[in-house]
Amino acid sequence: MRVVIAEDNVLLSAGLELLLGSKGIEVSAVVPDASGLADAVATHRPDLVIVDVRLPPSFRDEGIKAAVALRQADPALPVLVLSQYVERLYARELLADGSGGVGYLLKDRVSRVSQFIEDLRRVAAGGTVMDAEVISQLMIGRRSGLDMLTGREREVLALMAQGLSNTEIGQRLTVTDNAVHKHIGNIFAKLGLPPSDGGHRRVLAVLTFLDNERPPSPA
Amino acid sequence: MVLTYLWRCIRYHLVLLPSAMATVIALPLLVIAVLAPGGLVAVPRMMAILRRWAEWNRGRAAALLGVPVSPREARLPKGVGAQLRELLRSPESRRDLRWAVRHVATGIPAGLAALTVVGLVVNAVLEAPLWWLFPADDPLRLMVAFPVTGWSQALGLGLAQIVVGAALTWRIVPKLARMHADACLAALAPSSEDRLAARVDELTESRSGVLDAHAAELRRIERDLHDGTQARLVAIAMRLGVAREALGDDSGTVGRLLKEAHEGTEAAMAELRQVIRTMYPPILADRGLAGALNAVAAQAGLPVEADLDHLGPVPAAVETAAYFIVSEAITNATKHSGATRATVRLARRDDTLHVEVADDGRGGVDERRGTGIAGIRKRVAAFDGAVGVDSPPGGPTTITVELPCAS
Repeated sequence: MRVVIAEDNVLLSAGLELLLGSKGIEVSAVVPDASGLADAVATHRPDLVIVDVRLPPSFRDEGIKAAVALRQADPALPVLVLSQYVERLYARELLADGSGGVGYLLKDRVSRVSQFIEDLRRVAAGGTVMDAEVISQLMIGRRSGLDMLTGREREVLALMAQGLSNTEIGQRLTVTDNAVHKHIGNIFAKLGLPPSDGGHRRVLAVLTFLDNERPPSPA
Repeated sequence: MVLTYLWRCIRYHLVLLPSAMATVIALPLLVIAVLAPGGLVAVPRMMAILRRWAEWNRGRAAALLGVPVSPREARLPKGVGAQLRELLRSPESRRDLRWAVRHVATGIPAGLAALTVVGLVVNAVLEAPLWWLFPADDPLRLMVAFPVTGWSQALGLGLAQIVVGAALTWRIVPKLARMHADACLAALAPSSEDRLAARVDELTESRSGVLDAHAAELRRIERDLHDGTQARLVAIAMRLGVAREALGDDSGTVGRLLKEAHEGTEAAMAELRQVIRTMYPPILADRGLAGALNAVAAQAGLPVEADLDHLGPVPAAVETAAYFIVSEAITNATKHSGATRATVRLARRDDTLHVEVADDGRGGVDERRGTGIAGIRKRVAAFDGAVGVDSPPGGPTTITVELPCAS
């Protein structure tokens, strides 16, 4: 796997490069700002792009904007956004195009090396990985939208949002694959997601989860 | 010592008399300017000159009395309209006019009286030895009326006039000088109300300065922590993570210590993140107030409609306060009100930011029961703003906040 990194802090980009290298992931290029990112992606055609949220020149949310722009140019390009804080709004903006291959993680998670590499591969494979803190932000004070989900269904949805597969969810909650499958079917039905939409439904479910609007009521 | 003081008082009068006489022309000139066509342009300038003239005289009075005075400014704002408004508004202009009248009314009699008694001494000293130069049919008169026709009279009357003059000078010249100086300072001294008003203006300004500096400081600290401490912690955690990987499943001392160090670093990062969020939310730095409030609305536990179209530019301190106020009000609505939706409206009108958060919940907000309104009140009080809570039982609840934004 080949990745391009956009990170202005040398300490972090060097650490990341070292860490990925030790896991056999090739870092094709490291760019210090968003403007160089598009060129680097065009040149190296990476399997995954890792972007920091705060980048020069103004150190605000350039990384989010760059990630969205990259995805607009190429919706199939997997992008993992790393940051020192997570905002649900940013997660929503990243997921807004409804296709997978998006990750949004705290930089803290990088130090859990094998988990991080797993997340990386998941995103590269078109999955969706949301930081546990995004999920916990959602659970606090949330009343509407997901009201009709049972406690177990919420748990399943939260793990889905973190990018886990059905089998992994089953293992985490110590239930059978079948039970997970049933819960997920219920979640899709309750959130009013069409049964025919295949793999994208997972992303849409997560998006609903992140989105404040009530899902279309299941009549 | 005493003579020096006397001499200072005499000098004061020597300048006072011409100064008061010159001031006589000020008032008629001003009246003419007001009545003359186009004279209104000249009035503010004349008043500025009068202000400088008053200040110069005030400086002399203060020096004589040995009291400190802070000089007033005589600067003109731009534009005749603004100048005239300032003239009508400012109590200082009225004081200048009052001073001019008083300076003339007390200065001329006091100056004349003082110089007359001093003149008694000077006359006697200069004229008595020269009595013989006066014509015989109109001889020199000393002690007001007594004619001098011989040396004995010149000497006697001369000495008598010097003694009387000196005694009078001694008695009344310093008194007159001080009386005039007092009157002059009193005419120009601000009333206690004016002093209070000026002090309030000063405090309002310095408070808004302090709040802005505070907000800017918080923003800087957030940035510094993000680029410095947080980044370093991430780098340390990364290395510890890689080290743990390299060590594998070692349950020995090194493995245990590494694990503890790694978990400790993660806990530190989480704590630091929490501290930063409550101190200065990163999204406020990233997206400004409108963006941050949209995020609050988007991630609230209930549908929130945000109307931020008339927000306009807002000082940093007000921005931070408004962010926390809206967050708190939305949290309240979500947790306690049973509302199904809420609206947030922010608009800047003139020098005030109006914030309104309304929900359709059950109302009956009880401020004593720690509903977060107290926190909002505290934040608003720091700005000398106003909080209104309208929450009848049965709802709906509307919280309005007004935050002054001194520009």
